[in-house]
Amino acid sequence: MFTNIPATTNSVTSSLFKRPLLTAMTAALLASISLTGCSSPESSDTASTENATSTASDNDAVSASTIDVDTVKGKVSLPINPSPIVVYDMTLMQDLAALDVAIDGKPSGLHLDNLQSKKQPDPKEMGTVFEPDLEALNAMQPQAILVGSRMAEKYNELSNIAPTLDMSIDTANIYESSKQRLHDLGALFGKSDQAAKLQSNIDGLIEETKPLTKNKGNGLVVMVNGNKLSAYGYKSRFGFVHTVLGVPMVDGKIEDAKHGQPVSFEYLQKTNPDWLFVIDRSAAIGEDSVGAKAVLDNPLVAQTTAWKKNQVVYLSPDSYLAFGGYQQWMQDLTAIKTAFANAK
Amino acid sequence: MSLFSNHTTVDIDNPSSSLPTAQSRWQRNISSYPNHKPRHTKIPPWLINTASLIVMALLVLLSLSIGVADFSWSGIFHSLINHSANSDSSLMLVSRLPRTIAIILTGIAMAVAGMIIQVVLKNRFVEPSMVGATQSAALGLLVVSLFFPASALIIKMGVATIAAVFGMMLFMLLIHRIPPTDFLMIPLIGIVFGGIIDAITTFIAYQTETLQMLSVWQFGDFSSVLAGRYELLWFTGVLCIIAYIIADKLTIIGLGDNIALNLGISKRHVTWIGVGMVAMMSAVVVVTVGMIPFIGLIVPNIVSRIMGDKLRRSLPAVALLGASAVLLCDIIGRSIRYPFEIPVATVFGVVGTVIFLWLLLRAPAES
Repeated sequence: MFTNIPATTNSVTSSLFKRPLLTAMTAALLASISLTGCSSPESSDTASTENATSTASDNDAVSASTIDVDTVKGKVSLPINPSPIVVYDMTLMQDLAALDVAIDGKPSGLHLDNLQSKKQPDPKEMGTVFEPDLEALNAMQPQAILVGSRMAEKYNELSNIAPTLDMSIDTANIYESSKQRLHDLGALFGKSDQAAKLQSNIDGLIEETKPLTKNKGNGLVVMVNGNKLSAYGYKSRFGFVHTVLGVPMVDGKIEDAKHGQPVSFEYLQKTNPDWLFVIDRSAAIGEDSVGAKAVLDNPLVAQTTAWKKNQVVYLSPDSYLAFGGYQQWMQDLTAIKTAFANAK
Repeated sequence: MSLFSNHTTVDIDNPSSSLPTAQSRWQRNISSYPNHKPRHTKIPPWLINTASLIVMALLVLLSLSIGVADFSWSGIFHSLINHSANSDSSLMLVSRLPRTIAIILTGIAMAVAGMIIQVVLKNRFVEPSMVGATQSAALGLLVVSLFFPASALIIKMGVATIAAVFGMMLFMLLIHRIPPTDFLMIPLIGIVFGGIIDAITTFIAYQTETLQMLSVWQFGDFSSVLAGRYELLWFTGVLCIIAYIIADKLTIIGLGDNIALNLGISKRHVTWIGVGMVAMMSAVVVVTVGMIPFIGLIVPNIVSRIMGDKLRRSLPAVALLGASAVLLCDIIGRSIRYPFEIPVATVFGVVGTVIFLWLLLRAPAES
């Protein structure tokens, strides 16, 4: 029953030694000790090098059936096409669904309907996106657990049960990061070709949208939460509007914050964006609400160019929940492309 | 005095002088209770009220001037002279004035509600959030939003108010059964009681994935206030006027059960009116702007140290100071990260903690 546990520790230690930065730092540290006149480190230095080499050759020996996946916590070695798998992140679930990879465990209470491939049976519910059901996980004994930013804090707990891959998307670099994740998932499940095809769909839409956004004015991403507003900057999960599509930011001072910077309606009137990209958070998490449109429909927002020229783009709930996922890219790029294509 | 009875002439400012045996427990426990101070050290109420009115007027001017959008007073001046609307006057009417009014009404409501609950429970260390009122209102709001998400704001508010009254009733029953041997007992029970309701609310919200919606409601913040989106708060203004009308009866309730009995005041009656008003004020504020901690605790305490607990005299000061405190904190929240905002609840949490500690740790006044 506990056969995976030694395997886990093994992979953790091996990944530790394979980190080039860590090895370099260790070497530098040992070198600096030897400079200060200690006699012994000579041997330990060589020992650590030997250790690293031996781990590398170990990996080469098993590379036929295993694969190294780049994760936030470093490289993790996994057998190709691991099964059963549990996925706790909506971004990864979207990518896997697009790749037609069946998953065996998922969090409960998900508000998106594009998170699993149509052909597969319903996965077991294993807790929520924030809180894993450790009992259920232990009973299933998955071969891999895939987590994203919302579950990253629980990494250690999960690692005790099965090899855990923290494949969080880096919001500051959302395009490169999500591209890397999609590629890695393709490789891990033996569907590299399909992953490349999906990526080319995204890239194609980006290439079509980019020229349309040129010289069409600046933009601002706001989230409507209840009746309150917050603004998002280019390092946020919605930053792709600015970084990938090149829409200039109306205010460069917006810092990154998980739920944006709280702003008033006067802020919108003053900054006067030409384009407004709106995330309706209440709609994203499946609540009935007055609706983002009703909240924004007031005399102050009415004075902005975006509202006057009807240049308000409502992003999909996916961009809040599954940012960087395949469907999110496709939906939001399509919505933005259509809006800019229709702009006068 | 003339409002209620004339069969006894009691100086309700200084009951201990004429009725030493009727001195209530809380007065004995808190040695620094202002009524024990010799009268000549007190600042006359008119001076305090005038001073706080001036401070508030300045804060109102500041609040109207601060904001992200471009605005100039000369534009308002021109608009008034020409009797025509311009961008400045419309900004004033749509955004600045509503926000400032909402802040003032919230500050008044929270402070007055705090004062009423302190007098009714005869305890200086309680506020609406310590007797389960705000938590119950939030629970009511959550329940109605889950079952009738599309219902109008007035219905949501009504349910929140009923829940708040119910929660406070439960609390009153609870403290009835516990001998009030210690003046800290009531707030302690209140904190636990509020915590339990809060836990129930959080559990329901957790199970229904509405935690973050709940936090948006509960967090006091004026950034979304615009004309047409705060008007419910006027209701709390009406309640404050009612509180002023029945101020003397509330004061007598606060003096102790025996005095109330002697003066022919129905303790039950007035207590429930007070409790109901506090519940309604808390519910309206929670529904429209969210919770703001500490106002209901700090403001009445400061005023009562200076002016005593005769509500007819101290309620205006409580209202003015409450409004000024929230105005100041909202101005701070709007300025320090300009053009972004810090919610007023955060600012008041910080400022309030400091003032509360100062109130607690300050050496008791000489008796």
